Amino acid sequence: MLSIRRSASAFVAVAIGVALVATATLLLASGRPQVPDRLAQAAVVVQSPEAGTEADSFVPTRPWSATAAAELTSRLAGLPGVAAAVPDRTFYAQPLVGDRPSAADARREDAHQGHGWSSAQLGGLRRTAGEPPRKAGEVVVDRALGLRTGVPVTLLTAAGPEPYTVSGLVDAPGVYVADEVAAVLAPGVRAIGLLLAPGADPERVAVAARGVVGGDGQVLTGDERGALEPRGDARTRWIGMQVLTATAALAGFVTVFVVASTFAFTIAQRRRELGLLRAVGATGRQVRRMVYAEALAVGASAGLVGLLVGAALAPGLGRLLVDVGFEPATFAVRYAFWPVAVSLVAGPVIALLAVWSASRRAARVRPLEALREAAVEQRPIGRLRVATGAFLVAVGAALSVGTATADEARVAAQYALYAVMALVAGATVLAPAVVGPVVRLLRSPVRRPGGAIGMLVRGGALTATRRTASLAAPVLLTVAFAVLVSGMVRTTTAAYAAGRADNVNAGWIVVPDGGPGLSDQAVAAAGGTALLPTTVFRTDPGTLPENRPLTALGVDPAGFAAANRALTVVAGSLNDLRGEDTVVVTASTNLLPSEAYELVFADGTLVPLRVVAVVTDDSLPGDLLVPRAVVRTHDPSALTSTVYVRDRIDPPVGARIVDVATWAAEADAAEDRLVWLFTLLLIGVSAGYGAIAVANTLLLAAAGRAADLRLIRLAGATRRQVLWLVTAESALVVLIGALLGGSVAFAGLLSIRAGLAEQVGVPVDLAVPWSVIGGVVGLCLLLAVVASVLPTWRLLRH
Amino acid sequence: MTAMTTDTVTLTGVRAVYGTRDRPVTALDGVTTSFASGTFTAVMGPSGSGKSTLLHCAAGLDSPTEGIVTIDGIRLNDLGEDELTRLRRDCVGFVFQAFNLVSTLTAAQNVELPLRLAGRRPPARDVAAALDAVGLADRAGHRPSELSGGEQQRVAVARALITRPAVLFADEPTGALDSAASRQVLRLLRALVDDHGQTVVMVTHDPSAAAYADRVLLLADGRVVDELTGGITAAAVAARIAEREADPVGASRHAAETTEGLSC
Repeated sequence: MLSIRRSASAFVAVAIGVALVATATLLLASGRPQVPDRLAQAAVVVQSPEAGTEADSFVPTRPWSATAAAELTSRLAGLPGVAAAVPDRTFYAQPLVGDRPSAADARREDAHQGHGWSSAQLGGLRRTAGEPPRKAGEVVVDRALGLRTGVPVTLLTAAGPEPYTVSGLVDAPGVYVADEVAAVLAPGVRAIGLLLAPGADPERVAVAARGVVGGDGQVLTGDERGALEPRGDARTRWIGMQVLTATAALAGFVTVFVVASTFAFTIAQRRRELGLLRAVGATGRQVRRMVYAEALAVGASAGLVGLLVGAALAPGLGRLLVDVGFEPATFAVRYAFWPVAVSLVAGPVIALLAVWSASRRAARVRPLEALREAAVEQRPIGRLRVATGAFLVAVGAALSVGTATADEARVAAQYALYAVMALVAGATVLAPAVVGPVVRLLRSPVRRPGGAIGMLVRGGALTATRRTASLAAPVLLTVAFAVLVSGMVRTTTAAYAAGRADNVNAGWIVVPDGGPGLSDQAVAAAGGTALLPTTVFRTDPGTLPENRPLTALGVDPAGFAAANRALTVVAGSLNDLRGEDTVVVTASTNLLPSEAYELVFADGTLVPLRVVAVVTDDSLPGDLLVPRAVVRTHDPSALTSTVYVRDRIDPPVGARIVDVATWAAEADAAEDRLVWLFTLLLIGVSAGYGAIAVANTLLLAAAGRAADLRLIRLAGATRRQVLWLVTAESALVVLIGALLGGSVAFAGLLSIRAGLAEQVGVPVDLAVPWSVIGGVVGLCLLLAVVASVLPTWRLLRH
Repeated sequence: MTAMTTDTVTLTGVRAVYGTRDRPVTALDGVTTSFASGTFTAVMGPSGSGKSTLLHCAAGLDSPTEGIVTIDGIRLNDLGEDELTRLRRDCVGFVFQAFNLVSTLTAAQNVELPLRLAGRRPPARDVAAALDAVGLADRAGHRPSELSGGEQQRVAVARALITRPAVLFADEPTGALDSAASRQVLRLLRALVDDHGQTVVMVTHDPSAAAYADRVLLLADGRVVDELTGGITAAAVAARIAEREADPVGASRHAAETTEGLSC
């Protein structure tokens, strides 16, 4: 009983959904950590202890101190099968080309990393020209910079620009200096690479190394060494993963809805045929099985097509993701097995889920319906449907409350996404019950100018509320999603910027330009109050997680207190923050002034500190304060993130100056840009889908209404009147969907705004990107009108 | 329990009330009748007289509010939805006024559909024989859209008979046909009764169609008001109907119904 014409729209919807799922999962499976080229030749790498925390915070591992690293290196070098053990040091060093950081590979974290020359053996790097760096002032740089050996080059380091001479060139990113120089710039070590003797088995060496290292690090071999990739790459990939997971989930979710409404529609149109089947002896179960079988056939075949399309699209989309910054530059598509399996299963599963409700209705068709001429729907909405809808709305409301009260923005965003999914699903389920009142509400504007057409449009929408609702469902879905997601992102971005700006008491702010941070020299040139962040680790036996990473800010207490409006001291005095052993902590540590506090710094040394003041948790853009000199002593490569100044000054090299509002808006600009791109991608997916669904259902509806329209024509309507009728009908449907979707989303946005205002402590404006919403509604309206007028026009021509 | 009787279908005190509690519509008001095995009965009456409801109740397509219906001695009241479906599939054949065929299936596939639904695959020659019996042996591979209205109805008859049902119900089978096609379908039904002893119950409003039957039941306001047997001609039937319309019984019935409606 499978009719190609009837299943075409469901087929297209499933195929597109599976194509999206396939592309997203293929890319997801491809995004695996890459072993850095720099360590490719080290078959076994020992990494310093992981800073025990969530996998997605991307803090560096807790380093070994110089002495611990030296001791560990010599013990590892003595293992059988190990030819050499080489500590790998990494520090900030950026060659300046023409007095500015090279912009060519600004996005590659390894382009502004420096290493000791001995690290070069770990990657099997060969000099393409010149000599290795033997003494201070000599450097080997990337051939791609276009420098020749023997020429002077300025390296931007944490201290400031320093003169070096190019002693040689390699064919890899980064700079290489003499090992002694590296040991000064990066005293802490995070990885020791083992070069094996010919014929040695990496696994056996790894076992022996584990015996040496014990709990003081992890021994990695093979692909595990991907854990050593730059943390920035890991973070970029994590963002990409979020994008892809969300796209796949959204595609699956939206597809189920679109296909469900298509199936619901075909079932409604086939009542008479189903009634006939029941009359000639099909049981309800047989009808249901038949509907399932059709869905399965459509789902399986469309799934296969979708998989092929998705597999073909994946490489192109992968390159796009790298270009916009959702994946690190090392990303490449690999065709793994599980995405293929998932996509193959996705088609039938989506189709079966989608047809579930329609099949229930199909099975309930009574044999007598074969005899009815035009079945006027009796009950607009079943009890189970009301219950399901109410449940979904309740879940959505609960999640909205969760959004409003969540502490962390990331958690809030997740709640909001699930909240809108639940609310949208609920609204779609309850739509038939709401269509009547909404249509009556819209009656007055339609009645007067509409005349007979208005009457027909209203009558149709009111009697067949379920039909109207299933036509409006895709619009509802699309508009709700677009409004909520874009509004949420814009509002959140604005709220955080407002909160940031509100906390800062300064005229202007100096920020890095084209590099990861400001050097000490730039800070000195700028004057003002500087923040020097570094990652430190709590290693007390009692702390959980182990090696808990914290952001320490190196500051000058007086300047910091003046520039920070949010600062509230609970106990002690900020003025005591001086000397080598002082620290200011937040209230959540439950510490009191003069208590002891131990931290491991970037050089791997354990530093005993004394608490001099306690501030409220929201006082700091970090976890704790230490004197600037303490950070500099223990982290020679730490870079200044921000300098607050009172008056506008000329920015030093590698820096620029912005006003507070700009700084607040820019602070997360790179991430905001990614998030906005991500948002537009998601809205694009859902809007494209919604538009297809609207067109699909209306095309089907138009075919089913041929008899009605002919009748209206016979009753004396002109061709133009009939065309107006269908135009008005589809416009009404889009309007209903947009209204319902908009109100659902608006409710969600209000709860998000309340939560944000609480969180950032300033009133938050609701930012609604009307252009996006207008575009989405316009697209739906356009396609709806085209999809209903075209077939009607063709029909009337005969 | 009624093994001795030759009545294939019996209705006892059947009442069918529709509509809401506030505005009930009595479609059948205590009908007791039976259809004997191997006979051709026509059910007639004006619009709204309940003749279609009578057919639906007798065929198990609809459940009466009160009363007992049996087919082949089986009480339909006792059956669940699925048992009722199986009974319809095995013991009852239907021909509707229109939309009898599944448009995506060929004539032969439509004919074998009930047996397929019962999980049996009929031998091709049975299907061919069924189509041959209605004179459509050469149309087996055609879809409904390629058949004339009369041919479609004859395919429907062939489908109704493929399960060898105890009784064949036809609801205005000629309502959508021209007179030549109507005659063909009616002759076919008559021949089934005469040659194969098939029981046929047909609802019609056309006296000339009723003339093919052995017995005519006349319904008005949900009651059997008259019955003709023997020597049935179109003229006789038409005359009897005209006679009934002049009879004032209908008016009194109407008043009773209104009172009933108010009392609820």
